[in-house]
Amino acid sequence: MSRTIRLTARQALLEQRSFWRSAEYALFTFVFPLMILLLIGAANAGSHLPGTHIKNTTVFVPGILAFGVIVAAYVNLGSKVAVLRHDGVLKRVRTTPLPSGAYIGGLLTSTVATAVLITSATGLMGWLAFGAAPRAGQLLTLAGGLVLGTVCFAALGLAVSSVITSAESAGPVAYASFLPIAIISGVFDPTFSGLPDWLSRLVAAFPVKALAEILQNTYAVRPFPAWDLANLALWTAGGAAVAVWRFRWHS
Amino acid sequence: MRVIDERPPVPVADDFAVRVRGLRMSFDGVEVLHGVDFDVRYGEVFCLLGPNGAGKTTTLEILEGFRAPAGGEVRVLGLDPVTQAVQLRERAGMVLQECGFPRQTRVAELIDLWRSYYPAPRPLGDLLEVVELTKVRDTQVRKLSGGQRRRLDFALALAGDPDLIFLDEPTTGFDPEARRRCWAAIENLRGLGKTILLTTHYLDEAERLADRIAILRAGRIELAGTTHEVATRAGLATRISFATPSALRRGQVPPPDGIDLTVRGSESVCHTGNAAMTLRLLLAWAAAHRLGDLNGLAVTAPRLEDTYLQLTGSAGDPA
Repeated sequence: MSRTIRLTARQALLEQRSFWRSAEYALFTFVFPLMILLLIGAANAGSHLPGTHIKNTTVFVPGILAFGVIVAAYVNLGSKVAVLRHDGVLKRVRTTPLPSGAYIGGLLTSTVATAVLITSATGLMGWLAFGAAPRAGQLLTLAGGLVLGTVCFAALGLAVSSVITSAESAGPVAYASFLPIAIISGVFDPTFSGLPDWLSRLVAAFPVKALAEILQNTYAVRPFPAWDLANLALWTAGGAAVAVWRFRWHS
Repeated sequence: MRVIDERPPVPVADDFAVRVRGLRMSFDGVEVLHGVDFDVRYGEVFCLLGPNGAGKTTTLEILEGFRAPAGGEVRVLGLDPVTQAVQLRERAGMVLQECGFPRQTRVAELIDLWRSYYPAPRPLGDLLEVVELTKVRDTQVRKLSGGQRRRLDFALALAGDPDLIFLDEPTTGFDPEARRRCWAAIENLRGLGKTILLTTHYLDEAERLADRIAILRAGRIELAGTTHEVATRAGLATRISFATPSALRRGQVPPPDGIDLTVRGSESVCHTGNAAMTLRLLLAWAAAHRLGDLNGLAVTAPRLEDTYLQLTGSAGDPA
Protein backbone atom coordinates (compact mmCIF):
# COMPACT_ATOMS: atom_id res chain seq x y z
CA MET A 1 0.00 0.00 0.00
CA SER A 2 2.74 2.43 0.97
CA ARG A 3 4.46 1.55 -2.31
CA THR A 4 1.35 2.54 -4.25
CA ILE A 5 1.13 5.84 -2.36
CA ARG A 6 4.80 6.57 -2.94
CA LEU A 7 4.49 5.78 -6.65
CA THR A 8 1.32 7.89 -6.88
CA ALA A 9 3.09 10.88 -5.31
CA ARG A 10 6.05 10.46 -7.60
CA GLN A 11 3.87 10.26 -10.67
CA ALA A 12 1.94 13.37 -9.56
CA LEU A 13 5.19 15.27 -9.05
CA LEU A 14 6.38 14.48 -12.56
CA GLU A 15 2.99 15.49 -13.98
CA GLN A 16 3.20 18.84 -12.18
CA ARG A 17 6.75 19.43 -13.41
CA SER A 18 5.71 18.60 -16.97
CA PHE A 19 2.66 20.84 -16.62
CA TRP A 20 4.71 23.88 -15.65
CA ARG A 21 7.16 23.19 -18.46
CA SER A 22 4.34 23.33 -20.99
CA ALA A 23 3.64 26.96 -21.77
CA GLU A 24 0.28 26.39 -23.45
CA TYR A 25 -1.20 24.38 -20.58
CA ALA A 26 -0.06 26.80 -17.94
CA LEU A 27 -1.27 29.75 -20.04
CA PHE A 28 -4.74 28.40 -20.65
CA THR A 29 -5.21 27.09 -17.14
CA PHE A 30 -4.03 30.19 -15.31
CA VAL A 31 -3.85 33.26 -17.50
CA PHE A 32 -7.14 32.66 -19.29
CA PRO A 33 -9.42 32.48 -16.21
CA LEU A 34 -7.52 35.22 -14.37
CA MET A 35 -7.71 37.49 -17.41
CA ILE A 36 -11.47 36.91 -17.70
CA LEU A 37 -11.79 37.54 -13.98
CA LEU A 38 -10.06 40.91 -14.18
CA LEU A 39 -11.51 42.16 -17.48
CA ILE A 40 -15.16 41.19 -17.01
CA GLY A 41 -14.92 41.82 -13.28
CA ALA A 42 -13.74 45.39 -13.90
CA ALA A 43 -16.65 45.96 -16.31
CA ASN A 44 -19.10 44.78 -13.62
CA ALA A 45 -17.48 46.46 -10.63
CA GLY A 46 -19.86 48.82 -8.82
CA SER A 47 -23.07 47.50 -10.37
CA HIS A 48 -25.58 45.33 -8.55
CA LEU A 49 -27.78 42.43 -9.53
CA PRO A 50 -31.12 43.88 -10.64
CA GLY A 51 -33.46 44.53 -7.72
CA THR A 52 -30.93 43.47 -5.05
CA HIS A 53 -28.07 44.84 -2.96
CA ILE A 54 -25.80 42.01 -4.11
CA LYS A 55 -22.82 43.28 -6.07
CA ASN A 56 -22.34 41.68 -9.48
CA THR A 57 -18.78 40.71 -8.63
CA THR A 58 -19.95 38.78 -5.54
CA VAL A 59 -21.57 36.16 -7.79
CA PHE A 60 -19.18 36.65 -10.69
CA VAL A 61 -16.02 35.69 -8.75
CA PRO A 62 -17.34 32.28 -7.58
CA GLY A 63 -18.53 31.68 -11.15
CA ILE A 64 -14.94 32.08 -12.32
CA LEU A 65 -13.87 29.73 -9.50
CA ALA A 66 -16.15 27.14 -11.10
CA PHE A 67 -14.62 27.96 -14.48
CA GLY A 68 -11.12 27.36 -13.07
CA VAL A 69 -12.15 24.00 -11.61
CA ILE A 70 -13.60 22.94 -14.96
CA VAL A 71 -10.50 24.00 -16.90
CA ALA A 72 -8.17 22.19 -14.49
CA ALA A 73 -10.21 19.03 -14.01
CA TYR A 74 -12.22 18.61 -17.19
CA VAL A 75 -10.25 20.30 -19.99
CA ASN A 76 -6.72 19.62 -18.77
CA LEU A 77 -7.20 16.10 -17.45
CA GLY A 78 -9.43 15.05 -20.35
CA SER A 79 -7.12 16.31 -23.07
CA LYS A 80 -4.04 15.12 -21.19
CA VAL A 81 -5.27 11.53 -20.96
CA ALA A 82 -6.38 11.64 -24.61
CA VAL A 83 -2.88 12.76 -25.64
CA LEU A 84 -1.20 10.16 -23.40
CA ARG A 85 -3.35 7.48 -24.98
CA HIS A 86 -2.79 8.74 -28.52
CA ASP A 87 0.98 9.00 -28.00
CA GLY A 88 1.11 5.42 -26.72
CA VAL A 89 2.32 6.48 -23.28
CA LEU A 90 -0.51 4.58 -21.56
CA LYS A 91 0.42 1.50 -23.60
CA ARG A 92 4.03 1.85 -22.48
CA VAL A 93 3.05 2.24 -18.82
CA ARG A 94 1.09 -0.98 -19.23
CA THR A 95 4.34 -2.85 -19.98
CA THR A 96 5.66 -2.08 -16.49
CA PRO A 97 4.66 -3.57 -13.13
CA LEU A 98 3.34 -0.14 -12.02
CA PRO A 99 -0.14 -0.69 -10.53
CA SER A 100 -2.68 1.06 -12.76
CA GLY A 101 -4.19 2.62 -9.64
CA ALA A 102 -0.91 4.37 -8.89
CA TYR A 103 -0.71 5.76 -12.42
CA ILE A 104 -4.28 7.06 -12.61
CA GLY A 105 -3.96 8.21 -8.99
CA GLY A 106 -0.90 10.25 -9.92
CA LEU A 107 -2.74 11.95 -12.77
CA LEU A 108 -5.69 12.74 -10.48
CA THR A 109 -3.47 14.03 -7.68
CA SER A 110 -1.72 16.35 -10.10
CA THR A 111 -5.12 17.52 -11.35
CA VAL A 112 -6.23 18.30 -7.80
CA ALA A 113 -3.00 20.25 -7.21
CA THR A 114 -3.62 22.32 -10.34
CA ALA A 115 -7.24 22.94 -9.31
CA VAL A 116 -6.17 24.05 -5.83
CA LEU A 117 -3.62 26.48 -7.29
CA ILE A 118 -5.97 27.97 -9.85
CA THR A 119 -8.89 28.41 -7.43
CA SER A 120 -6.60 29.90 -4.76
CA ALA A 121 -5.24 32.39 -7.29
CA THR A 122 -8.73 33.24 -8.56
CA GLY A 123 -10.25 33.59 -5.09
CA LEU A 124 -7.37 35.71 -3.85
CA MET A 125 -7.45 37.99 -6.87
CA GLY A 126 -11.23 38.33 -6.69
CA TRP A 127 -10.91 39.43 -3.07
CA LEU A 128 -8.03 41.84 -3.69
CA ALA A 129 -9.44 43.41 -6.85
CA PHE A 130 -13.18 43.44 -6.12
CA GLY A 131 -13.47 42.75 -2.40
CA ALA A 132 -15.45 39.59 -3.15
CA ALA A 133 -15.06 37.05 -0.34
CA PRO A 134 -17.03 34.07 0.98
CA ARG A 135 -19.65 34.82 3.62
CA ALA A 136 -18.54 34.50 7.23
CA GLY A 137 -18.11 30.84 8.20
CA GLN A 138 -18.56 29.63 4.61
CA LEU A 139 -14.91 28.98 3.78
CA LEU A 140 -15.12 25.27 4.56
CA THR A 141 -18.34 24.93 2.61
CA LEU A 142 -16.62 26.65 -0.31
CA ALA A 143 -13.71 24.19 -0.05
CA GLY A 144 -16.19 21.31 0.00
CA GLY A 145 -17.93 22.68 -3.10
CA LEU A 146 -14.58 22.96 -4.90
CA VAL A 147 -13.73 19.35 -4.01
CA LEU A 148 -17.12 18.16 -5.29
CA GLY A 149 -16.65 20.12 -8.49
CA THR A 150 -13.13 18.80 -9.04
CA VAL A 151 -14.22 15.19 -8.51
CA CYS A 152 -17.21 15.59 -10.82
CA PHE A 153 -15.33 17.26 -13.66
CA ALA A 154 -12.31 14.95 -13.34
CA ALA A 155 -14.67 12.00 -13.85
CA LEU A 156 -16.21 13.77 -16.85
CA GLY A 157 -12.72 14.61 -18.15
CA LEU A 158 -11.68 10.94 -18.04
CA ALA A 159 -14.97 10.02 -19.72
CA VAL A 160 -14.54 12.54 -22.55
CA SER A 161 -10.90 11.47 -23.09
CA SER A 162 -12.14 8.13 -24.39
CA VAL A 163 -14.12 9.73 -27.22
CA ILE A 164 -11.26 12.00 -28.33
CA THR A 165 -9.52 10.27 -31.21
CA SER A 166 -6.48 12.43 -31.89
CA ALA A 167 -3.95 14.46 -29.94
CA GLU A 168 -4.62 17.51 -32.12
CA SER A 169 -8.33 17.61 -31.37
CA ALA A 170 -7.96 16.93 -27.62
CA GLY A 171 -7.84 20.58 -26.47
CA PRO A 172 -10.47 21.89 -28.92
CA VAL A 173 -12.93 19.07 -28.14
CA ALA A 174 -12.53 19.57 -24.40
CA TYR A 175 -13.08 23.35 -24.65
CA ALA A 176 -15.83 23.25 -27.25
CA SER A 177 -17.81 20.74 -25.19
CA PHE A 178 -18.14 23.05 -22.19
CA LEU A 179 -17.45 26.69 -23.17
CA PRO A 180 -20.84 27.29 -24.87
CA ILE A 181 -22.60 25.78 -21.86
CA ALA A 182 -20.53 27.95 -19.52
CA ILE A 183 -21.51 31.06 -21.49
CA ILE A 184 -25.24 30.41 -21.49
CA SER A 185 -25.00 29.30 -17.87
CA GLY A 186 -24.08 32.91 -17.13
CA VAL A 187 -20.67 32.06 -15.69
CA PHE A 188 -19.11 35.07 -17.41
CA ASP A 189 -22.04 37.45 -16.98
CA PRO A 190 -23.89 37.62 -13.65
CA THR A 191 -26.82 39.49 -15.23
CA PHE A 192 -27.14 37.10 -18.16
CA SER A 193 -30.82 36.47 -18.84
CA GLY A 194 -33.49 36.42 -21.52
CA LEU A 195 -32.92 32.81 -22.61
CA PRO A 196 -35.97 30.96 -23.93
CA ASP A 197 -37.50 28.86 -21.19
CA TRP A 198 -36.57 25.51 -22.73
CA LEU A 199 -32.95 26.57 -23.11
CA SER A 200 -32.54 27.70 -19.53
CA ARG A 201 -34.03 24.38 -18.40
CA LEU A 202 -31.61 22.51 -20.64
CA VAL A 203 -28.64 24.48 -19.37
CA ALA A 204 -29.70 23.84 -15.78
CA ALA A 205 -29.43 20.10 -16.46
CA PHE A 206 -25.68 20.41 -17.08
CA PRO A 207 -23.25 20.45 -14.16
CA VAL A 208 -21.63 23.80 -15.06
CA LYS A 209 -24.44 26.00 -13.74
CA ALA A 210 -24.90 23.63 -10.79
CA LEU A 211 -21.30 24.01 -9.66
CA ALA A 212 -21.38 27.78 -10.19
CA GLU A 213 -24.53 28.08 -8.04
CA ILE A 214 -23.11 25.90 -5.27
CA LEU A 215 -20.05 28.13 -5.10
CA GLN A 216 -22.08 31.35 -5.45
CA ASN A 217 -24.14 30.24 -2.47
CA THR A 218 -21.04 30.53 -0.28
CA TYR A 219 -20.49 34.14 -1.40
CA ALA A 220 -24.06 35.48 -1.45
CA VAL A 221 -27.13 34.23 0.40
CA ARG A 222 -29.24 32.14 -1.94
CA PRO A 223 -31.66 29.26 -1.54
CA PHE A 224 -29.96 26.02 -0.42
CA PRO A 225 -28.66 24.41 -3.64
CA ALA A 226 -30.20 20.97 -3.08
CA TRP A 227 -31.01 20.41 -6.77
CA ASP A 228 -27.50 21.53 -7.77
CA LEU A 229 -25.90 19.02 -5.38
CA ALA A 230 -28.07 16.22 -6.74
CA ASN A 231 -27.20 17.30 -10.28
CA LEU A 232 -23.46 17.20 -9.52
CA ALA A 233 -23.77 13.79 -7.83
CA LEU A 234 -25.57 12.36 -10.86
CA TRP A 235 -23.03 13.72 -13.33
CA THR A 236 -20.18 12.43 -11.14
CA ALA A 237 -21.67 8.94 -11.07
CA GLY A 238 -22.39 8.99 -14.80
CA GLY A 239 -18.94 10.37 -15.66
CA ALA A 240 -17.17 7.82 -13.46
CA ALA A 241 -19.19 4.97 -14.95
CA VAL A 242 -18.37 5.98 -18.53
CA ALA A 243 -14.71 6.63 -17.59
CA VAL A 244 -14.33 3.13 -16.15
CA TRP A 245 -16.40 1.41 -18.84
CA ARG A 246 -14.69 3.13 -21.78
CA PHE A 247 -11.15 3.34 -20.42
CA ARG A 248 -8.52 1.98 -22.85
CA TRP A 249 -4.76 1.73 -22.44
CA HIS A 250 -4.18 2.03 -26.17
CA SER A 251 -5.75 4.07 -28.96
CA MET B 1 0.87 -14.59 13.33
CA ARG B 2 1.76 -16.03 9.99
CA VAL B 3 2.40 -14.04 6.91
CA ILE B 4 1.22 -15.83 3.83
CA ASP B 5 2.55 -14.83 0.47
CA GLU B 6 -0.38 -15.45 -1.82
CA ARG B 7 1.59 -15.17 -5.01
CA PRO B 8 2.39 -18.53 -6.53
CA PRO B 9 6.10 -19.41 -6.30
CA VAL B 10 8.21 -18.39 -9.28
CA PRO B 11 9.85 -21.45 -10.82
CA VAL B 12 13.58 -20.72 -10.93
CA ALA B 13 14.72 -23.65 -12.96
CA ASP B 14 13.34 -23.74 -16.46
CA ASP B 15 15.38 -24.81 -19.41
CA PHE B 16 14.09 -22.08 -21.64
CA ALA B 17 13.47 -18.37 -21.21
CA VAL B 18 10.54 -18.69 -23.60
CA ARG B 19 8.70 -21.86 -24.50
CA VAL B 20 5.91 -21.85 -27.05
CA ARG B 21 3.96 -24.98 -28.01
CA GLY B 22 1.08 -25.23 -30.45
CA LEU B 23 0.23 -21.54 -30.12
CA ARG B 24 -2.99 -20.60 -31.88
CA MET B 25 -4.67 -17.24 -32.18
CA SER B 26 -7.79 -16.04 -33.95
CA PHE B 27 -9.30 -12.62 -34.53
CA ASP B 28 -13.01 -12.50 -35.31
CA GLY B 29 -13.02 -16.18 -36.18
CA VAL B 30 -10.05 -15.92 -38.54
CA GLU B 31 -7.06 -17.93 -37.36
CA VAL B 32 -3.81 -15.98 -37.70
CA LEU B 33 -1.47 -18.31 -35.80
CA HIS B 34 -1.84 -21.97 -36.69
CA GLY B 35 0.15 -23.79 -34.02
CA VAL B 36 3.46 -22.01 -33.50
CA ASP B 37 6.33 -23.79 -31.70
CA PHE B 38 9.68 -22.35 -30.68
CA ASP B 39 12.03 -22.04 -27.72
CA VAL B 40 14.33 -19.24 -26.65
CA ARG B 41 17.34 -20.24 -24.55
CA TYR B 42 18.64 -18.15 -21.69
CA GLY B 43 21.25 -15.60 -22.76
CA GLU B 44 20.67 -15.80 -26.47
CA VAL B 45 19.41 -13.32 -29.02
CA PHE B 46 16.47 -14.97 -30.73
CA CYS B 47 14.94 -13.48 -33.83
CA LEU B 48 11.43 -14.00 -35.07
CA LEU B 49 11.84 -13.17 -38.73
CA GLY B 50 9.04 -12.79 -41.21
CA PRO B 51 7.28 -10.51 -43.64
CA ASN B 52 4.69 -7.97 -42.51
CA GLY B 53 1.45 -9.64 -41.49
CA ALA B 54 3.08 -12.98 -40.67
CA GLY B 55 1.91 -12.81 -37.03
CA LYS B 56 5.13 -11.63 -35.37
CA THR B 57 3.58 -8.83 -33.34
CA THR B 58 0.59 -10.97 -32.37
CA THR B 59 2.95 -13.67 -31.11
CA LEU B 60 4.89 -11.10 -29.13
CA GLU B 61 1.73 -9.59 -27.65
CA ILE B 62 0.73 -13.05 -26.40
CA LEU B 63 4.16 -13.62 -24.85
CA GLU B 64 3.92 -10.22 -23.15
CA GLY B 65 0.53 -11.06 -21.66
CA PHE B 66 -1.43 -8.45 -23.62
CA ARG B 67 -3.55 -11.06 -25.38
CA ALA B 68 -4.80 -14.43 -24.25
CA PRO B 69 -4.03 -17.13 -26.83
CA ALA B 70 -6.84 -19.15 -28.41
CA GLY B 71 -4.87 -22.34 -27.83
CA GLY B 72 -1.51 -23.86 -27.06
CA GLU B 73 0.98 -23.47 -24.26
CA VAL B 74 3.13 -20.42 -23.52
CA ARG B 75 5.70 -20.06 -20.74
CA VAL B 76 7.86 -16.95 -20.36
CA LEU B 77 10.56 -17.13 -17.68
CA GLY B 78 8.55 -20.07 -16.39
CA LEU B 79 5.49 -17.86 -15.94
CA ASP B 80 2.07 -17.87 -17.53
CA PRO B 81 1.90 -14.41 -19.19
CA VAL B 82 -1.88 -14.13 -18.74
CA THR B 83 -2.28 -15.07 -15.09
CA GLN B 84 1.14 -13.93 -13.84
CA ALA B 85 1.43 -10.68 -15.76
CA VAL B 86 2.72 -8.55 -12.87
CA GLN B 87 5.53 -10.95 -12.01
CA LEU B 88 6.41 -11.21 -15.69
CA ARG B 89 6.56 -7.42 -16.10
CA GLU B 90 8.96 -7.16 -13.17
CA ARG B 91 11.37 -9.46 -14.99
CA ALA B 92 10.78 -8.73 -18.68
CA GLY B 93 11.39 -5.43 -20.45
CA MET B 94 9.31 -4.61 -23.51
CA VAL B 95 9.93 -2.33 -26.45
CA LEU B 96 6.69 -2.10 -28.41
CA GLN B 97 6.08 -0.41 -31.73
CA GLU B 98 4.89 3.17 -31.70
CA CYS B 99 4.97 3.88 -27.99
CA GLY B 100 5.51 7.55 -27.19
CA PHE B 101 6.99 9.31 -24.19
CA PRO B 102 5.23 11.78 -21.92
CA ARG B 103 5.77 15.19 -23.56
CA GLN B 104 7.88 17.73 -21.64
CA THR B 105 9.83 15.12 -19.67
CA ARG B 106 13.62 14.96 -19.76
CA VAL B 107 15.66 11.85 -20.57
CA ALA B 108 17.23 11.11 -17.17
CA GLU B 109 14.08 12.18 -15.32
CA LEU B 110 11.96 9.74 -17.30
CA ILE B 111 14.41 6.84 -16.89
CA ASP B 112 14.52 7.56 -13.17
CA LEU B 113 10.72 7.49 -12.95
CA TRP B 114 10.70 4.15 -14.75
CA ARG B 115 13.30 2.80 -12.32
CA SER B 116 10.92 3.56 -9.45
CA TYR B 117 8.41 1.06 -10.91
CA TYR B 118 10.73 -1.91 -10.33
CA PRO B 119 11.90 -3.74 -7.20
CA ALA B 120 15.59 -3.92 -8.22
CA PRO B 121 16.37 -1.29 -10.89
CA ARG B 122 19.68 -0.81 -12.70
CA PRO B 123 21.66 2.32 -11.78
CA LEU B 124 20.69 5.40 -13.81
CA GLY B 125 24.22 6.22 -15.02
CA ASP B 126 24.65 2.65 -16.16
CA LEU B 127 21.42 2.74 -18.18
CA LEU B 128 22.37 6.03 -19.87
CA GLU B 129 25.71 4.54 -20.82
CA VAL B 130 24.39 1.27 -22.25
CA VAL B 131 22.14 3.15 -24.66
CA GLU B 132 24.61 5.99 -25.26
CA LEU B 133 22.34 8.78 -24.07
CA THR B 134 24.57 10.23 -21.34
CA LYS B 135 25.20 13.38 -23.38
CA VAL B 136 21.50 14.16 -23.76
CA ARG B 137 20.44 13.20 -20.25
CA ASP B 138 18.86 16.61 -19.57
CA THR B 139 17.27 17.05 -22.99
CA GLN B 140 13.48 17.04 -23.32
CA VAL B 141 12.40 13.81 -24.98
CA ARG B 142 10.47 15.58 -27.75
CA LYS B 143 13.79 17.02 -28.99
CA LEU B 144 15.43 13.61 -29.47
CA SER B 145 16.05 12.11 -32.92
CA GLY B 146 14.30 8.92 -33.99
CA GLY B 147 17.34 6.81 -33.19
CA GLN B 148 17.78 8.44 -29.79
CA ARG B 149 14.12 7.85 -28.99
CA ARG B 150 14.49 4.18 -29.82
CA ARG B 151 17.53 3.93 -27.56
CA LEU B 152 15.51 5.63 -24.82
CA ASP B 153 12.94 2.87 -25.42
CA PHE B 154 15.71 0.39 -24.66
CA ALA B 155 16.75 2.25 -21.52
CA LEU B 156 13.17 2.19 -20.19
CA ALA B 157 12.81 -1.50 -21.04
CA LEU B 158 16.10 -2.14 -19.23
CA ALA B 159 15.28 0.03 -16.19
CA GLY B 160 14.08 -2.88 -14.05
CA ASP B 161 17.19 -4.93 -14.88
CA PRO B 162 15.06 -7.60 -16.61
CA ASP B 163 16.21 -11.12 -17.48
CA LEU B 164 14.41 -10.98 -20.81
CA ILE B 165 13.84 -8.17 -23.28
CA PHE B 166 11.26 -8.13 -26.07
CA LEU B 167 12.02 -5.88 -29.04
CA ASP B 168 9.28 -5.48 -31.63
CA GLU B 169 10.81 -4.39 -34.96
CA PRO B 170 13.47 -2.23 -33.30
CA THR B 171 14.84 -0.50 -36.41
CA THR B 172 11.87 -0.22 -38.75
CA GLY B 173 11.99 3.08 -40.62
CA PHE B 174 15.52 4.03 -39.55
CA ASP B 175 18.31 5.41 -41.72
CA PRO B 176 21.50 3.29 -41.91
CA GLU B 177 23.36 5.30 -39.26
CA ALA B 178 20.50 5.09 -36.77
CA ARG B 179 20.19 1.36 -37.45
CA ARG B 180 23.87 0.83 -36.86
CA ARG B 181 23.74 2.60 -33.47
CA CYS B 182 20.58 0.72 -32.58
CA TRP B 183 22.30 -2.55 -33.36
CA ALA B 184 25.24 -1.48 -31.21
CA ALA B 185 22.82 -0.84 -28.34
CA ILE B 186 21.32 -4.32 -28.81
CA GLU B 187 24.85 -5.79 -28.78
CA ASN B 188 25.37 -3.94 -25.48
CA LEU B 189 22.23 -5.56 -24.07
CA ARG B 190 23.51 -8.94 -25.16
CA GLY B 191 26.79 -8.10 -23.44
CA LEU B 192 24.87 -7.68 -20.18
CA GLY B 193 23.79 -11.31 -20.47
CA LYS B 194 20.17 -10.50 -21.24
CA THR B 195 17.99 -12.87 -23.20
CA ILE B 196 16.59 -10.98 -26.16
CA LEU B 197 13.63 -11.88 -28.32
CA LEU B 198 13.31 -9.58 -31.28
CA THR B 199 11.06 -9.49 -34.29
CA THR B 200 12.09 -8.06 -37.61
CA HIS B 201 11.36 -8.23 -41.29
CA TYR B 202 14.93 -7.25 -42.12
CA LEU B 203 17.18 -10.15 -43.02
CA ASP B 204 20.44 -8.39 -42.42
CA GLU B 205 19.25 -7.47 -38.96
CA ALA B 206 18.45 -11.09 -38.10
CA GLU B 207 21.72 -12.28 -39.62
CA ARG B 208 23.74 -9.67 -37.79
CA LEU B 209 22.16 -9.92 -34.33
CA ALA B 210 20.60 -13.31 -33.82
CA ASP B 211 22.09 -16.44 -32.32
CA ARG B 212 19.05 -18.32 -33.51
CA ILE B 213 16.24 -17.55 -35.89
CA ALA B 214 12.71 -18.73 -36.50
CA ILE B 215 11.08 -17.81 -39.77
CA LEU B 216 7.40 -17.09 -39.30
CA ARG B 217 5.23 -16.96 -42.37
CA ALA B 218 1.44 -16.74 -42.55
CA GLY B 219 1.05 -17.86 -38.95
CA ARG B 220 3.44 -20.82 -39.09
CA ILE B 221 7.08 -21.36 -38.17
CA GLU B 222 8.68 -22.45 -41.43
CA LEU B 223 12.19 -23.04 -40.10
CA ALA B 224 14.11 -22.52 -36.88
CA GLY B 225 17.74 -22.80 -35.80
CA THR B 226 21.02 -20.95 -36.15
CA THR B 227 21.48 -18.86 -39.29
CA HIS B 228 23.53 -21.65 -40.81
CA GLU B 229 21.12 -24.40 -39.76
CA VAL B 230 18.17 -22.53 -41.17
CA ALA B 231 19.86 -22.10 -44.50
CA THR B 232 21.04 -25.73 -44.54
CA ARG B 233 17.69 -27.15 -43.52
CA ALA B 234 16.10 -25.29 -46.37
CA GLY B 235 18.09 -27.68 -48.58
CA LEU B 236 20.35 -25.03 -50.03
CA ALA B 237 23.80 -26.10 -51.12
CA THR B 238 27.21 -24.63 -50.41
CA ARG B 239 28.59 -22.83 -53.44
CA ILE B 240 32.21 -23.45 -54.51
CA SER B 241 33.74 -21.36 -57.25
CA PHE B 242 37.17 -20.69 -58.76
CA ALA B 243 38.73 -19.03 -61.76
CA THR B 244 38.44 -21.42 -64.71
CA PRO B 245 41.96 -22.71 -65.47
CA SER B 246 42.85 -22.00 -69.11
CA ALA B 247 43.72 -25.69 -69.67
CA LEU B 248 40.19 -26.64 -68.67
CA ARG B 249 38.64 -24.00 -70.90
CA ARG B 250 40.68 -25.18 -73.86
CA GLY B 251 39.66 -28.81 -73.17
CA GLN B 252 43.25 -29.89 -72.46
CA VAL B 253 42.13 -31.45 -69.13
CA PRO B 254 38.91 -33.39 -68.45
CA PRO B 255 36.40 -31.97 -65.95
CA PRO B 256 36.61 -33.52 -62.46
CA ASP B 257 34.73 -36.76 -61.83
CA GLY B 258 31.80 -36.83 -59.42
CA ILE B 259 31.38 -33.06 -59.36
CA ASP B 260 28.61 -31.20 -61.13
CA LEU B 261 30.80 -28.38 -62.35
CA THR B 262 29.49 -25.54 -64.48
CA VAL B 263 31.99 -23.53 -66.46
CA ARG B 264 30.72 -19.99 -66.95
CA GLY B 265 33.49 -18.45 -68.98
CA SER B 266 36.15 -17.26 -66.57
CA GLU B 267 34.38 -18.69 -63.51
CA SER B 268 33.65 -22.30 -62.63
CA VAL B 269 30.93 -23.02 -60.12
CA CYS B 270 29.51 -26.05 -58.36
CA HIS B 271 26.90 -26.57 -55.64
CA THR B 272 27.25 -29.29 -53.03
CA GLY B 273 25.67 -30.59 -49.89
CA ASN B 274 29.08 -31.75 -48.64
CA ALA B 275 31.64 -28.97 -49.06
CA ALA B 276 34.59 -30.87 -47.51
CA MET B 277 34.24 -33.89 -49.78
CA THR B 278 33.80 -31.78 -52.88
CA LEU B 279 36.84 -29.62 -52.02
CA ARG B 280 38.98 -32.71 -51.51
CA LEU B 281 37.93 -34.07 -54.91
CA LEU B 282 38.52 -30.72 -56.58
CA LEU B 283 41.99 -30.24 -55.13
CA ALA B 284 43.01 -33.81 -55.97
CA TRP B 285 41.82 -33.25 -59.54
CA ALA B 286 43.75 -29.98 -59.73
CA ALA B 287 46.93 -31.62 -58.41
CA ALA B 288 46.60 -34.57 -60.83
CA HIS B 289 46.40 -32.17 -63.78
CA ARG B 290 49.06 -29.75 -62.52
CA LEU B 291 46.61 -26.89 -62.18
CA GLY B 292 48.22 -25.77 -58.90
CA ASP B 293 46.08 -24.12 -56.25
CA LEU B 294 42.89 -23.15 -57.96
CA ASN B 295 42.92 -19.39 -58.41
CA GLY B 296 40.12 -17.43 -56.77
CA LEU B 297 38.87 -20.49 -54.89
CA ALA B 298 35.85 -19.42 -52.82
CA VAL B 299 33.49 -21.42 -50.60
CA THR B 300 30.21 -19.68 -49.82
CA ALA B 301 27.97 -21.08 -47.10
CA PRO B 302 24.28 -21.05 -47.92
CA ARG B 303 22.98 -17.63 -47.07
CA LEU B 304 19.94 -16.82 -44.96
CA GLU B 305 18.80 -14.48 -47.67
CA ASP B 306 18.52 -17.33 -50.17
CA THR B 307 16.46 -19.32 -47.70
CA TYR B 308 14.28 -16.38 -46.83
CA LEU B 309 13.61 -15.41 -50.39
CA GLN B 310 12.86 -19.01 -51.26
CA LEU B 311 10.35 -19.23 -48.40
CA THR B 312 8.70 -15.84 -48.59
CA GLY B 313 9.39 -14.48 -52.03
CA SER B 314 6.97 -16.69 -53.90
CA ALA B 315 4.40 -14.88 -55.98
CA GLY B 316 0.94 -14.59 -54.51
CA ASP B 317 2.26 -14.65 -50.95
CA PRO B 318 -0.75 -13.81 -48.79
CA ALA B 319 1.47 -11.82 -46.41
